[in-house]
Amino acid sequence: MFAFGIAAMAPALLISRMVSPRKKSNPVKFLPMECGQVPSGEGRTHFMMQYYPFILMFVVFDVMAIFLYAWGSSLLELPKSATLPMMGFLAIMFGAMAFALYQSGRKRIW
Amino acid sequence: MSVLAPKFKLSEFIKSLFDNAFWALLLVSLVGLPLIQVVLFYIEMPVINGELLTPFLALTWLADPSRSLPIVKAFMATDMFRVMVFPGFGFAALLAAGTIFVERKMLAKLQLRVGPFYCGKIEGILQLAGDGLKLISKEIIIPAKADKPIFWAAPVIFVATAAAFVALIPVAPGGWVVADVDLGLLGVFAIIGFFPIITILSAWSANSKFPFIGGIRALFQMVSFEIPLILSLLGVVIVTGTLNLSEISASQSFFPWIVFLPVGAIVFFITMLAELERIPFDLPEAESEIVAGWLTEFSGMMYGLVQLGTYLKLYAFAALFVVLFLGGWNGPMIVPPFPEEILTEGIVLGPVTAKFPGLPLFDQAMLNGTLWFVIKTVGVIFFILLPRGVFPRIRIDMLLSLGWTKLIGLAFVNIFIALGLLYAGVLGPGGLQ
Repeated sequence: MFAFGIAAMAPALLISRMVSPRKKSNPVKFLPMECGQVPSGEGRTHFMMQYYPFILMFVVFDVMAIFLYAWGSSLLELPKSATLPMMGFLAIMFGAMAFALYQSGRKRIW
Repeated sequence: MSVLAPKFKLSEFIKSLFDNAFWALLLVSLVGLPLIQVVLFYIEMPVINGELLTPFLALTWLADPSRSLPIVKAFMATDMFRVMVFPGFGFAALLAAGTIFVERKMLAKLQLRVGPFYCGKIEGILQLAGDGLKLISKEIIIPAKADKPIFWAAPVIFVATAAAFVALIPVAPGGWVVADVDLGLLGVFAIIGFFPIITILSAWSANSKFPFIGGIRALFQMVSFEIPLILSLLGVVIVTGTLNLSEISASQSFFPWIVFLPVGAIVFFITMLAELERIPFDLPEAESEIVAGWLTEFSGMMYGLVQLGTYLKLYAFAALFVVLFLGGWNGPMIVPPFPEEILTEGIVLGPVTAKFPGLPLFDQAMLNGTLWFVIKTVGVIFFILLPRGVFPRIRIDMLLSLGWTKLIGLAFVNIFIALGLLYAGVLGPGGLQ
Protein backbone atom coordinates (compact mmCIF):
# COMPACT_ATOMS: atom_id res chain seq x y z
CA MET A 1 0.00 0.00 0.00
CA PHE A 2 2.91 2.34 0.80
CA ALA A 3 4.53 1.44 -2.51
CA PHE A 4 1.23 1.88 -4.32
CA GLY A 5 0.83 5.28 -2.69
CA ILE A 6 4.21 6.35 -4.02
CA ALA A 7 3.59 4.80 -7.45
CA ALA A 8 0.21 6.48 -7.76
CA MET A 9 1.12 9.89 -6.43
CA ALA A 10 4.52 10.54 -8.02
CA PRO A 11 2.91 10.71 -11.51
CA ALA A 12 0.59 13.42 -10.22
CA LEU A 13 3.60 15.61 -9.52
CA LEU A 14 5.13 14.69 -12.90
CA ILE A 15 1.91 15.50 -14.79
CA SER A 16 1.63 18.72 -12.88
CA ARG A 17 5.20 19.57 -13.83
CA MET A 18 4.43 18.84 -17.51
CA VAL A 19 1.10 20.65 -17.65
CA SER A 20 1.79 23.69 -15.56
CA PRO A 21 3.19 26.88 -17.06
CA ARG A 22 6.68 27.99 -16.15
CA LYS A 23 6.95 31.71 -16.48
CA LYS A 24 10.22 33.55 -16.77
CA SER A 25 11.64 33.85 -13.33
CA ASN A 26 12.96 36.71 -11.37
CA PRO A 27 14.95 36.18 -8.18
CA VAL A 28 12.16 37.53 -5.99
CA LYS A 29 9.84 34.72 -7.05
CA PHE A 30 11.91 32.00 -5.41
CA LEU A 31 12.46 33.79 -2.13
CA PRO A 32 10.92 32.19 0.94
CA MET A 33 7.48 33.42 1.85
CA GLU A 34 7.62 36.23 4.36
CA CYS A 35 4.35 38.07 3.75
CA GLY A 36 5.69 40.25 0.95
CA GLN A 37 8.82 41.46 2.72
CA VAL A 38 12.31 40.61 1.59
CA PRO A 39 13.27 37.81 3.99
CA SER A 40 15.92 38.56 6.53
CA GLY A 41 18.11 36.28 8.57
CA GLU A 42 18.32 32.53 8.59
CA GLY A 43 15.44 30.43 7.31
CA ARG A 44 16.00 27.73 9.89
CA THR A 45 15.51 29.66 13.07
CA HIS A 46 16.44 28.56 16.55
CA PHE A 47 14.87 25.61 18.28
CA MET A 48 12.48 26.46 21.11
CA MET A 49 14.30 25.17 24.20
CA GLN A 50 11.36 25.99 26.44
CA TYR A 51 9.46 22.84 25.49
CA TYR A 52 12.47 20.56 25.01
CA PRO A 53 11.75 18.51 28.20
CA PHE A 54 8.60 17.17 26.54
CA ILE A 55 10.66 15.66 23.74
CA LEU A 56 12.95 14.04 26.29
CA MET A 57 9.96 12.68 28.19
CA PHE A 58 8.53 11.30 24.96
CA VAL A 59 11.66 9.29 24.26
CA VAL A 60 11.42 7.56 27.64
CA PHE A 61 7.70 7.09 28.09
CA ASP A 62 6.93 6.01 24.54
CA VAL A 63 9.06 2.92 25.07
CA MET A 64 7.38 2.26 28.42
CA ALA A 65 3.92 2.63 26.90
CA ILE A 66 4.71 0.23 24.06
CA PHE A 67 6.12 -2.22 26.60
CA LEU A 68 2.73 -2.21 28.34
CA TYR A 69 1.25 -3.70 25.16
CA ALA A 70 3.36 -6.82 25.48
CA TRP A 71 1.74 -7.27 28.88
CA GLY A 72 -1.77 -6.18 27.89
CA SER A 73 -2.09 -8.47 24.89
CA SER A 74 -1.04 -11.57 26.86
CA LEU A 75 -2.89 -10.70 30.05
CA LEU A 76 -5.56 -13.39 29.57
CA GLU A 77 -2.95 -16.15 29.55
CA LEU A 78 -0.96 -14.87 32.51
CA PRO A 79 -1.67 -15.91 36.13
CA LYS A 80 -3.29 -13.27 38.28
CA SER A 81 -0.23 -12.94 40.47
CA ALA A 82 1.68 -11.53 37.49
CA THR A 83 -0.40 -8.37 37.64
CA LEU A 84 1.15 -7.16 40.89
CA PRO A 85 4.66 -6.46 39.46
CA MET A 86 2.94 -4.66 36.59
CA MET A 87 1.14 -2.46 39.11
CA GLY A 88 4.58 -1.64 40.49
CA PHE A 89 5.77 -0.81 36.99
CA LEU A 90 2.75 1.43 36.41
CA ALA A 91 3.38 3.17 39.73
CA ILE A 92 7.02 3.80 38.82
CA MET A 93 5.95 5.08 35.42
CA PHE A 94 3.33 7.36 36.92
CA GLY A 95 5.69 8.69 39.58
CA ALA A 96 8.46 9.29 37.08
CA MET A 97 6.05 11.08 34.80
CA ALA A 98 4.82 13.32 37.61
CA PHE A 99 8.40 14.18 38.57
CA ALA A 100 9.35 14.92 34.96
CA LEU A 101 6.29 17.11 34.53
CA TYR A 102 7.21 19.00 37.68
CA GLN A 103 10.75 19.52 36.37
CA SER A 104 9.48 20.63 32.96
CA GLY A 105 7.26 23.17 34.70
CA ARG A 106 10.31 24.91 36.18
CA LYS A 107 10.83 27.20 33.21
CA ARG A 108 13.93 28.98 34.47
CA ILE A 109 16.16 25.89 34.51
CA TRP A 110 15.53 25.28 30.80
CA MET B 1 -8.17 43.16 -16.48
CA SER B 2 -6.79 39.77 -17.13
CA VAL B 3 -6.93 38.25 -20.59
CA LEU B 4 -6.91 34.56 -21.22
CA ALA B 5 -3.68 33.58 -23.01
CA PRO B 6 -2.79 36.94 -24.57
CA LYS B 7 -0.18 35.52 -26.96
CA PHE B 8 -2.35 32.70 -28.27
CA LYS B 9 -1.39 31.40 -31.73
CA LEU B 10 -3.26 28.54 -33.37
CA SER B 11 -0.11 27.23 -35.08
CA GLU B 12 1.78 27.01 -31.81
CA PHE B 13 -1.18 25.36 -30.13
CA ILE B 14 -1.29 22.66 -32.85
CA LYS B 15 2.47 22.26 -32.59
CA SER B 16 2.18 21.72 -28.85
CA LEU B 17 -0.51 19.09 -29.42
CA PHE B 18 1.79 17.23 -31.81
CA ASP B 19 4.65 17.55 -29.35
CA ASN B 20 2.58 16.02 -26.56
CA ALA B 21 1.42 13.20 -28.85
CA PHE B 22 5.04 12.51 -29.78
CA TRP B 23 6.16 12.30 -26.18
CA ALA B 24 3.22 10.09 -25.26
CA LEU B 25 4.04 7.70 -28.10
CA LEU B 26 7.70 7.65 -27.14
CA LEU B 27 6.89 6.89 -23.51
CA VAL B 28 4.44 4.14 -24.46
CA SER B 29 6.89 2.43 -26.79
CA LEU B 30 9.90 2.75 -24.51
CA VAL B 31 8.26 2.12 -21.13
CA GLY B 32 4.71 0.90 -21.56
CA LEU B 33 5.27 -1.94 -24.03
CA PRO B 34 8.23 -3.47 -22.16
CA LEU B 35 6.15 -3.23 -18.99
CA ILE B 36 3.32 -5.18 -20.65
CA GLN B 37 5.82 -7.81 -21.76
CA VAL B 38 7.17 -8.11 -18.23
CA VAL B 39 3.63 -8.52 -16.90
CA LEU B 40 2.87 -11.20 -19.50
CA PHE B 41 6.00 -13.16 -18.67
CA TYR B 42 6.17 -12.93 -14.92
CA ILE B 43 2.62 -12.63 -13.56
CA GLU B 44 0.56 -15.77 -13.16
CA MET B 45 -2.87 -15.43 -14.72
CA PRO B 46 -5.81 -17.21 -13.06
CA VAL B 47 -7.48 -20.32 -14.49
CA ILE B 48 -11.14 -19.65 -15.22
CA ASN B 49 -13.62 -22.23 -16.55
CA GLY B 50 -10.74 -24.65 -17.02
CA GLU B 51 -8.83 -22.32 -19.32
CA LEU B 52 -5.74 -20.31 -18.54
CA LEU B 53 -6.67 -16.67 -18.87
CA THR B 54 -4.50 -14.91 -21.42
CA PRO B 55 -4.93 -11.20 -22.08
CA PHE B 56 -6.40 -11.98 -25.54
CA LEU B 57 -8.93 -14.40 -24.06
CA ALA B 58 -9.81 -11.82 -21.42
CA LEU B 59 -10.48 -9.22 -24.10
CA THR B 60 -12.79 -11.59 -25.97
CA TRP B 61 -14.63 -12.54 -22.82
CA LEU B 62 -15.10 -8.97 -21.69
CA ALA B 63 -17.51 -8.43 -24.58
CA ASP B 64 -19.87 -11.05 -23.12
CA PRO B 65 -21.28 -10.14 -19.67
CA SER B 66 -22.03 -13.71 -18.69
CA ARG B 67 -18.42 -14.68 -19.29
CA SER B 68 -16.80 -11.51 -18.00
CA LEU B 69 -18.17 -11.87 -14.46
CA PRO B 70 -15.76 -14.70 -13.52
CA ILE B 71 -12.89 -12.52 -14.69
CA VAL B 72 -14.13 -9.69 -12.50
CA LYS B 73 -14.46 -12.11 -9.58
CA ALA B 74 -10.97 -13.47 -10.13
CA PHE B 75 -9.66 -9.91 -10.19
CA MET B 76 -11.50 -9.08 -6.98
CA ALA B 77 -9.78 -11.94 -5.18
CA THR B 78 -6.33 -10.51 -5.92
CA ASP B 79 -4.28 -8.32 -3.63
CA MET B 80 -4.12 -5.68 -6.33
CA PHE B 81 -7.88 -5.09 -6.07
CA ARG B 82 -7.64 -4.82 -2.30
CA VAL B 83 -4.83 -2.30 -2.49
CA MET B 84 -6.21 -0.23 -5.34
CA VAL B 85 -9.98 -0.36 -5.04
CA PHE B 86 -12.03 -1.66 -2.20
CA PRO B 87 -10.65 -1.61 1.30
CA GLY B 88 -7.63 0.29 0.08
CA PHE B 89 -6.88 3.44 -1.80
CA GLY B 90 -9.96 4.00 -3.98
CA PHE B 91 -12.47 3.49 -1.17
CA ALA B 92 -10.53 5.70 1.22
CA ALA B 93 -9.96 8.41 -1.37
CA LEU B 94 -13.66 8.43 -2.23
CA LEU B 95 -14.61 8.87 1.43
CA ALA B 96 -11.88 11.52 1.81
CA ALA B 97 -13.23 13.46 -1.17
CA GLY B 98 -16.73 13.29 0.26
CA THR B 99 -15.34 14.52 3.57
CA ILE B 100 -13.74 17.57 1.98
CA PHE B 101 -16.97 18.56 0.24
CA VAL B 102 -19.17 17.95 3.29
CA GLU B 103 -16.74 19.85 5.49
CA ARG B 104 -16.77 22.95 3.30
CA LYS B 105 -20.52 22.90 2.90
CA MET B 106 -21.25 22.19 6.57
CA LEU B 107 -18.85 24.83 7.89
CA ALA B 108 -20.42 27.35 5.54
CA LYS B 109 -23.88 26.52 6.85
CA LEU B 110 -22.64 26.78 10.46
CA GLN B 111 -21.24 30.23 9.77
CA LEU B 112 -24.25 31.40 7.73
CA ARG B 113 -22.31 31.37 4.45
CA VAL B 114 -23.18 29.60 1.22
CA GLY B 115 -19.99 27.61 0.63
CA PRO B 116 -19.12 26.16 -2.78
CA PHE B 117 -22.04 27.03 -5.00
CA TYR B 118 -21.33 27.61 -8.67
CA CYS B 119 -19.17 24.71 -9.83
CA GLY B 120 -21.61 22.06 -10.99
CA LYS B 121 -25.28 22.88 -11.18
CA ILE B 122 -26.34 21.41 -7.82
CA GLU B 123 -24.86 23.12 -4.78
CA GLY B 124 -21.31 23.23 -6.10
CA ILE B 125 -20.92 19.49 -6.24
CA LEU B 126 -18.10 19.61 -8.79
CA GLN B 127 -16.03 22.03 -6.71
CA LEU B 128 -13.58 19.32 -5.74
CA ALA B 129 -12.90 18.33 -9.36
CA GLY B 130 -12.42 22.00 -10.17
CA ASP B 131 -9.97 22.41 -7.31
CA GLY B 132 -8.05 19.34 -8.41
CA LEU B 133 -7.75 20.63 -11.98
CA LYS B 134 -6.65 24.02 -10.69
CA LEU B 135 -4.00 22.53 -8.42
CA ILE B 136 -2.60 20.21 -11.08
CA SER B 137 -2.27 23.02 -13.62
CA LYS B 138 -0.49 25.42 -11.29
CA GLU B 139 3.20 26.04 -11.30
CA ILE B 140 5.23 24.39 -8.56
CA ILE B 141 7.52 26.96 -6.98
CA ILE B 142 10.34 25.71 -4.82
CA PRO B 143 12.04 28.30 -2.64
CA ALA B 144 15.68 29.00 -3.30
CA LYS B 145 18.13 27.25 -0.95
CA ALA B 146 15.52 24.58 -0.21
CA ASP B 147 16.67 20.99 0.12
CA LYS B 148 15.14 19.88 -3.16
CA PRO B 149 15.04 16.07 -2.94
CA ILE B 150 13.44 16.08 0.50
CA PHE B 151 11.10 18.89 -0.44
CA TRP B 152 9.87 17.00 -3.51
CA ALA B 153 9.58 13.69 -1.69
CA ALA B 154 7.77 14.95 1.42
CA PRO B 155 4.21 15.23 -0.03
CA VAL B 156 4.48 11.88 -1.82
CA ILE B 157 5.75 10.12 1.29
CA PHE B 158 3.04 11.81 3.34
CA VAL B 159 0.30 10.38 1.08
CA ALA B 160 2.00 6.99 0.97
CA THR B 161 2.25 6.82 4.77
CA ALA B 162 -1.41 7.74 5.12
CA ALA B 163 -2.20 5.00 2.58
CA ALA B 164 -0.17 2.53 4.62
CA PHE B 165 -2.31 3.48 7.62
CA VAL B 166 -5.47 2.85 5.57
CA ALA B 167 -4.13 -0.59 4.64
CA LEU B 168 -4.41 -1.81 8.24
CA ILE B 169 -8.12 -1.02 8.64
CA PRO B 170 -10.49 -4.02 8.38
CA VAL B 171 -13.66 -2.93 6.60
CA ALA B 172 -15.88 -6.02 6.32
CA PRO B 173 -15.99 -9.59 7.63
CA GLY B 174 -14.33 -12.30 5.57
CA GLY B 175 -10.88 -10.81 5.27
CA TRP B 176 -11.69 -7.52 3.57
CA VAL B 177 -8.51 -5.83 4.73
CA VAL B 178 -5.36 -5.11 2.78
CA ALA B 179 -2.86 -6.20 5.42
CA ASP B 180 -4.20 -8.58 8.08
CA VAL B 181 -1.33 -8.28 10.54
CA ASP B 182 -1.30 -10.04 13.90
CA LEU B 183 0.35 -7.01 15.48
CA GLY B 184 -1.98 -4.58 13.68
CA LEU B 185 -2.31 -2.10 16.50
CA LEU B 186 1.47 -1.87 16.96
CA GLY B 187 1.69 -1.33 13.19
CA VAL B 188 -0.73 1.57 13.56
CA PHE B 189 1.49 3.14 16.24
CA ALA B 190 4.55 2.64 14.06
CA ILE B 191 2.87 4.40 11.14
CA ILE B 192 1.57 7.23 13.32
CA GLY B 193 5.16 7.72 14.47
CA PHE B 194 6.20 8.51 10.92
CA PHE B 195 4.01 11.60 10.53
CA PRO B 196 6.00 13.93 12.81
CA ILE B 197 9.19 12.88 11.03
CA ILE B 198 7.75 13.70 7.60
CA THR B 199 6.38 16.98 8.88
CA ILE B 200 9.65 18.09 10.43
CA LEU B 201 11.62 16.99 7.34
CA SER B 202 9.45 18.98 4.96
CA ALA B 203 9.49 21.96 7.29
CA TRP B 204 13.27 21.82 7.60
CA SER B 205 13.88 21.38 3.90
CA ALA B 206 11.84 24.44 2.90
CA ASN B 207 14.39 26.80 4.50
CA SER B 208 11.76 29.33 5.41
CA LYS B 209 10.64 30.68 8.76
CA PHE B 210 6.92 29.93 8.80
CA PRO B 211 7.20 26.27 7.78
CA PHE B 212 9.93 25.78 10.34
CA ILE B 213 7.88 27.22 13.18
CA GLY B 214 4.87 25.18 12.06
CA GLY B 215 6.95 22.03 11.79
CA ILE B 216 8.34 22.44 15.31
CA ARG B 217 4.83 22.99 16.62
CA ALA B 218 3.59 19.90 14.76
CA LEU B 219 6.45 17.90 16.27
CA PHE B 220 5.61 18.98 19.82
CA GLN B 221 1.91 18.42 19.33
CA MET B 222 2.12 14.97 17.75
CA VAL B 223 4.79 13.84 20.19
CA SER B 224 2.93 14.96 23.28
CA PHE B 225 -0.33 13.37 22.18
CA GLU B 226 1.15 10.09 21.09
CA ILE B 227 1.56 8.71 24.61
CA PRO B 228 -2.07 9.35 25.68
CA LEU B 229 -3.11 7.83 22.35
CA ILE B 230 -1.09 4.69 22.96
CA LEU B 231 -2.20 4.38 26.58
CA SER B 232 -5.88 4.98 25.84
CA LEU B 233 -6.01 1.99 23.48
CA LEU B 234 -4.42 -0.34 26.04
CA GLY B 235 -7.80 -0.88 27.69
CA VAL B 236 -9.24 -2.40 24.52
CA VAL B 237 -6.23 -4.68 24.16
CA ILE B 238 -6.57 -5.80 27.80
CA VAL B 239 -10.21 -6.82 27.43
CA THR B 240 -9.80 -8.47 24.01
CA GLY B 241 -6.38 -10.01 24.53
CA THR B 242 -5.31 -9.52 20.92
CA LEU B 243 -3.60 -6.90 18.80
CA ASN B 244 -5.15 -8.01 15.49
CA LEU B 245 -7.61 -5.34 14.35
CA SER B 246 -9.88 -7.85 12.58
CA GLU B 247 -10.17 -9.91 15.75
CA ILE B 248 -10.81 -6.81 17.85
CA SER B 249 -13.57 -5.85 15.43
CA ALA B 250 -15.08 -9.35 15.48
CA SER B 251 -15.00 -9.45 19.30
CA GLN B 252 -17.62 -6.69 19.49
CA SER B 253 -20.50 -8.61 17.97
CA PHE B 254 -22.70 -8.14 21.07
CA PHE B 255 -21.69 -4.74 22.39
CA PRO B 256 -19.14 -2.13 21.32
CA TRP B 257 -16.29 -1.40 23.73
CA ILE B 258 -17.37 2.22 24.10
CA VAL B 259 -20.05 0.90 26.47
CA PHE B 260 -17.43 -0.37 28.90
CA LEU B 261 -14.52 1.96 28.18
CA PRO B 262 -16.02 5.40 27.58
CA VAL B 263 -13.06 7.18 29.20
CA GLY B 264 -10.63 5.58 26.77
CA ALA B 265 -12.88 6.46 23.85
CA ILE B 266 -13.02 10.13 24.88
CA VAL B 267 -9.25 10.32 25.40
CA PHE B 268 -8.65 8.64 22.04
CA PHE B 269 -11.03 11.04 20.30
CA ILE B 270 -9.25 14.10 21.73
CA THR B 271 -5.79 12.77 20.86
CA MET B 272 -7.15 11.95 17.38
CA LEU B 273 -8.10 15.60 16.88
CA ALA B 274 -4.58 16.61 17.92
CA GLU B 275 -2.84 14.09 15.66
CA LEU B 276 -4.96 15.26 12.74
CA GLU B 277 -4.06 18.92 13.43
CA ARG B 278 -7.69 19.92 13.47
CA ILE B 279 -9.27 22.77 15.41
CA PRO B 280 -8.99 23.25 18.41
CA PHE B 281 -5.48 21.77 17.99
CA ASP B 282 -4.53 23.26 14.63
CA LEU B 283 -1.45 25.08 15.91
CA PRO B 284 0.84 23.69 13.18
CA GLU B 285 -1.33 25.27 10.48
CA ALA B 286 -2.60 28.30 12.37
CA GLU B 287 -3.64 30.56 9.49
CA SER B 288 -3.95 33.75 11.49
CA GLU B 289 -0.51 33.45 13.09
CA ILE B 290 1.93 31.67 10.81
CA VAL B 291 0.36 31.88 7.30
CA ALA B 292 -0.20 28.14 6.72
CA GLY B 293 2.30 26.60 9.11
CA TRP B 294 4.37 23.82 7.65
CA LEU B 295 2.41 23.96 4.37
CA THR B 296 3.41 27.54 3.60
CA GLU B 297 5.96 26.86 0.86
CA PHE B 298 4.01 24.09 -0.84
CA SER B 299 2.38 25.17 -4.08
CA GLY B 300 0.32 23.57 -6.79
CA MET B 301 -0.01 19.81 -6.79
CA MET B 302 2.36 19.40 -3.85
CA TYR B 303 -0.17 21.18 -1.66
CA GLY B 304 -2.93 19.05 -3.21
CA LEU B 305 -1.08 15.87 -2.31
CA VAL B 306 -0.61 17.01 1.28
CA GLN B 307 -4.32 17.76 1.50
CA LEU B 308 -5.16 14.32 0.09
CA GLY B 309 -2.84 12.72 2.63
CA THR B 310 -4.42 14.72 5.45
CA TYR B 311 -7.90 13.55 4.57
CA LEU B 312 -6.79 9.95 4.05
CA LYS B 313 -5.32 10.15 7.53
CA LEU B 314 -8.60 11.58 8.83
CA TYR B 315 -10.52 8.66 7.32
CA ALA B 316 -8.04 6.17 8.75
CA PHE B 317 -8.28 7.61 12.26
CA ALA B 318 -12.08 7.70 12.16
CA ALA B 319 -12.08 4.10 10.91
CA LEU B 320 -9.69 3.11 13.70
CA PHE B 321 -12.06 4.66 16.24
CA VAL B 322 -14.92 2.66 14.71
CA VAL B 323 -12.94 -0.57 14.71
CA LEU B 324 -11.74 -0.23 18.29
CA PHE B 325 -14.68 1.34 20.08
CA LEU B 326 -17.84 1.31 17.97
CA GLY B 327 -17.89 -2.30 16.87
CA GLY B 328 -16.43 -2.10 13.39
CA TRP B 329 -18.58 -3.86 10.85
CA ASN B 330 -21.01 -5.35 13.38
CA GLY B 331 -24.66 -4.35 13.16
CA PRO B 332 -28.10 -5.76 12.53
CA MET B 333 -28.59 -7.34 9.11
CA ILE B 334 -30.37 -4.73 6.99
CA VAL B 335 -29.15 -5.61 3.51
CA PRO B 336 -31.73 -7.86 1.77
CA PRO B 337 -30.46 -11.22 0.51
CA PHE B 338 -29.62 -11.56 -3.16
CA PRO B 339 -32.83 -12.52 -5.08
CA GLU B 340 -32.86 -16.26 -5.75
CA GLU B 341 -34.69 -16.14 -9.08
CA ILE B 342 -31.84 -14.24 -10.74
CA LEU B 343 -29.54 -17.12 -9.81
CA THR B 344 -31.91 -19.85 -10.99
CA GLU B 345 -33.74 -18.27 -13.93
CA GLY B 346 -31.65 -15.27 -14.90
CA ILE B 347 -32.99 -11.82 -15.71
CA VAL B 348 -36.04 -11.94 -17.99
CA LEU B 349 -36.65 -8.86 -20.10
CA GLY B 350 -39.59 -9.63 -22.38
CA PRO B 351 -38.44 -12.28 -24.85
CA VAL B 352 -34.78 -12.06 -23.81
CA THR B 353 -33.40 -14.04 -20.88
CA ALA B 354 -29.92 -13.24 -19.63
CA LYS B 355 -28.16 -15.68 -17.33
CA PHE B 356 -25.21 -14.57 -15.24
CA PRO B 357 -23.13 -17.37 -13.78
CA GLY B 358 -20.90 -15.98 -11.07
CA LEU B 359 -23.48 -13.78 -9.38
CA PRO B 360 -23.65 -12.57 -6.62
CA LEU B 361 -20.40 -10.64 -6.65
CA PHE B 362 -20.40 -9.92 -2.89
CA ASP B 363 -22.06 -11.96 -0.18
CA GLN B 364 -24.71 -10.47 2.06
CA ALA B 365 -22.60 -10.35 5.23
CA MET B 366 -19.85 -8.41 3.47
CA LEU B 367 -22.27 -5.81 2.04
CA ASN B 368 -23.98 -5.41 5.41
CA GLY B 369 -20.66 -5.06 7.21
CA THR B 370 -19.45 -2.45 4.76
CA LEU B 371 -22.70 -0.52 5.10
CA TRP B 372 -22.48 -0.42 8.90
CA PHE B 373 -18.79 0.41 8.78
CA VAL B 374 -19.39 3.33 6.42
CA ILE B 375 -22.34 4.62 8.47
CA LYS B 376 -20.30 4.59 11.68
CA THR B 377 -17.20 6.05 10.03
CA VAL B 378 -19.19 8.89 8.49
CA GLY B 379 -20.68 9.61 11.91
CA VAL B 380 -17.25 9.77 13.54
CA ILE B 381 -15.93 11.97 10.71
CA PHE B 382 -18.88 14.30 11.29
CA PHE B 383 -17.91 14.64 14.94
CA ILE B 384 -14.32 15.31 13.93
CA LEU B 385 -15.43 18.07 11.55
CA LEU B 386 -17.89 19.68 13.92
CA PRO B 387 -15.43 21.39 16.36
CA ARG B 388 -13.96 23.36 13.46
CA GLY B 389 -17.07 25.49 13.28
CA VAL B 390 -17.38 25.92 17.02
CA PHE B 391 -14.11 26.15 18.93
CA PRO B 392 -11.21 28.64 18.92
CA ARG B 393 -7.58 27.56 18.82
CA ILE B 394 -5.82 26.83 22.11
CA ARG B 395 -2.34 27.98 23.17
CA ILE B 396 0.64 25.65 22.92
CA ASP B 397 1.33 25.57 26.67
CA MET B 398 -2.33 24.70 27.32
CA LEU B 399 -2.04 21.99 24.68
CA LEU B 400 1.05 20.47 26.24
CA SER B 401 -0.33 20.53 29.78
CA LEU B 402 -3.61 19.01 28.52
CA GLY B 403 -1.79 16.21 26.73
CA TRP B 404 0.74 15.46 29.43
CA THR B 405 -1.29 15.75 32.62
CA LYS B 406 -5.02 15.38 32.08
CA LEU B 407 -5.16 12.97 29.17
CA ILE B 408 -2.43 10.67 30.48
CA GLY B 409 -4.16 10.60 33.88
CA LEU B 410 -7.46 9.68 32.23
CA ALA B 411 -5.72 7.02 30.15
CA PHE B 412 -4.40 5.42 33.35
CA VAL B 413 -7.92 5.54 34.80
CA ASN B 414 -9.09 3.75 31.67
CA ILE B 415 -6.49 1.00 32.09
CA PHE B 416 -7.67 0.39 35.65
CA ILE B 417 -11.32 0.31 34.51
CA ALA B 418 -10.39 -2.39 31.98
CA LEU B 419 -8.44 -4.37 34.57
CA GLY B 420 -11.32 -4.07 37.04
CA LEU B 421 -13.82 -5.31 34.46
CA LEU B 422 -11.57 -8.25 33.66
CA TYR B 423 -10.89 -9.30 37.26
CA ALA B 424 -14.47 -8.72 38.39
CA GLY B 425 -15.47 -11.30 35.78
CA VAL B 426 -17.64 -8.96 33.73
CA LEU B 427 -15.58 -9.42 30.58
CA GLY B 428 -13.07 -11.97 29.38
CA PRO B 429 -13.20 -15.74 29.98
CA GLY B 430 -16.30 -16.67 31.96
CA GLY B 431 -17.77 -13.21 31.57
CA LEU B 432 -20.17 -11.70 29.07
CA GLN B 433 -18.07 -12.72 26.12
